[in-house]
Amino acid sequence: MNPIPPGLRAPSHEAMEQAASWFSLLQSGNATNADRARWQTWLASGAESQAAWAFVERVSLRFQPLQAVPAPRLAADALQAANQRLARRRTLLFGFAAMAGSGSLLGWAVWRQAGWVDPLLAHFADHHTGIGERRDLVLADGTQVWLASASAFDQDYRADLRRLRLRSGEILIQTAVDRERPFVVDTAHGRLRALGTRFNVRLDEAGGTQLAVYEGAVEITLAHGGQSTVVAAGKQVRFTADRWEETTAADPAREAWSRGILLAQDMSLAQVVAELGRYRRGHIAVAPEVAGLTVLGSYPLDDLNGTLAMLQQALPIQVRQPLPWWTTIEARTR
Amino acid sequence: MSTSEYASPPSVEFLYHDNHNWLQSWLRRRLGCAAEAADLAHDTFVRLLRSPQRFDSQPEARAYLRVVANGLCIDLWRHREVERAWLDTLAVLPEAQTPSPEDQHIVLQALQEIDTMLRSLSPKAARAFVLSTACGMTHQEIAGELGVSSRTVGTYITQAMLHCMRLEADSQVPHGTSEP
Repeated sequence: MNPIPPGLRAPSHEAMEQAASWFSLLQSGNATNADRARWQTWLASGAESQAAWAFVERVSLRFQPLQAVPAPRLAADALQAANQRLARRRTLLFGFAAMAGSGSLLGWAVWRQAGWVDPLLAHFADHHTGIGERRDLVLADGTQVWLASASAFDQDYRADLRRLRLRSGEILIQTAVDRERPFVVDTAHGRLRALGTRFNVRLDEAGGTQLAVYEGAVEITLAHGGQSTVVAAGKQVRFTADRWEETTAADPAREAWSRGILLAQDMSLAQVVAELGRYRRGHIAVAPEVAGLTVLGSYPLDDLNGTLAMLQQALPIQVRQPLPWWTTIEARTR
Repeated sequence: MSTSEYASPPSVEFLYHDNHNWLQSWLRRRLGCAAEAADLAHDTFVRLLRSPQRFDSQPEARAYLRVVANGLCIDLWRHREVERAWLDTLAVLPEAQTPSPEDQHIVLQALQEIDTMLRSLSPKAARAFVLSTACGMTHQEIAGELGVSSRTVGTYITQAMLHCMRLEADSQVPHGTSEP
């Protein structure tokens, strides 16, 4: 095992990412001699890349004992069998504690920040989607819910109340009629009570909830203070735990995602890319000189490469993908 | 002010006296076994010793202890589940192929470590990573098995490796040190 040179800080995030992607490429079965030569060059480029690579070796070494089995595949399958049984038993609390438990993963300092609790719980919520995944489902009462990418909610139906708790991301809801049981959606910022309706709820990166109402009406009650207001069909509003902002016309784009469409009406390229980023792991960088370009039109959310190709047709930009998970968008050079 | 508020940040020793019995009986209810509960209560406080926390009240301290102890319970259950799966695998192997008892044990430990390392990843990413790293399968082979594209497999493996590297880095570099 290569020791980490003493006195060296943990390698930078970039160096760690590079090392991980080199590992992936070298293991892929498709690496060429040229790739290996480039990897060698990278490795020789400095102490930081060597330190990062030392971590790759450490991780790989943990798998070495499995070679003691005639077919390592058997050991790998045992792990899989155990995981499947565990997944069946996993409950919300159970899973959450699993993350917080093994100290090295997430410390208490992270856990106690309320803002982190929901994203953490999202992993173990009753219904969730991975990055790039969309799903629609029908709940027991006939209410229909569409989950956007990387979204999660818990369902808590009781005798007198139908309650969803949005943990992360975005959901579009078409409620079923049930005069006996009100339908509410809770977020960290307040409670939304549906008054016979179709509406979209999104947790945004800035730490607020965005509500857009397409049919009926929704009553917002703020988490702090408990003031409430009713938002009518065709309107949208953003709120935090303490206050709501100005009500504006509902953006049809906020509903279009449920059909797998990104509807850009006067969005900047940077906004479009941020939206696409919700549907894809990895990094998409936009050069500042093109970030402000205006984008119009509708684009498929499920096909990032197709969307990027369309954008490249429509705008003076150039899309490059030096690595599978690394996309850069720059001004087109003539 | 409630009496459960700590006047000044308490020492681990104080926390131990204040909460150990409570934690142990909480664990006993959860595990149904007094000996295991005693072990895990002990481990919980060892962890607190290793990374001291600041608490302002007893409820806050107990919330933390419960999270840590619950995690340890899950570690225990997971370890058992992995052990059971491994024993099931060994049981159906022809005798000629059965590893020596020592190797069996080494493999089990490795599997438990790997399980701990990968458990916060998505099942497919974890599976892809194991098939690549332990079994040396190509991305294309893994893609066929998981029903995803080779490209997705590549992304899974990069992400999984990066995740494990960070865990290694976290366990090795103490927080807050920065050598100039």
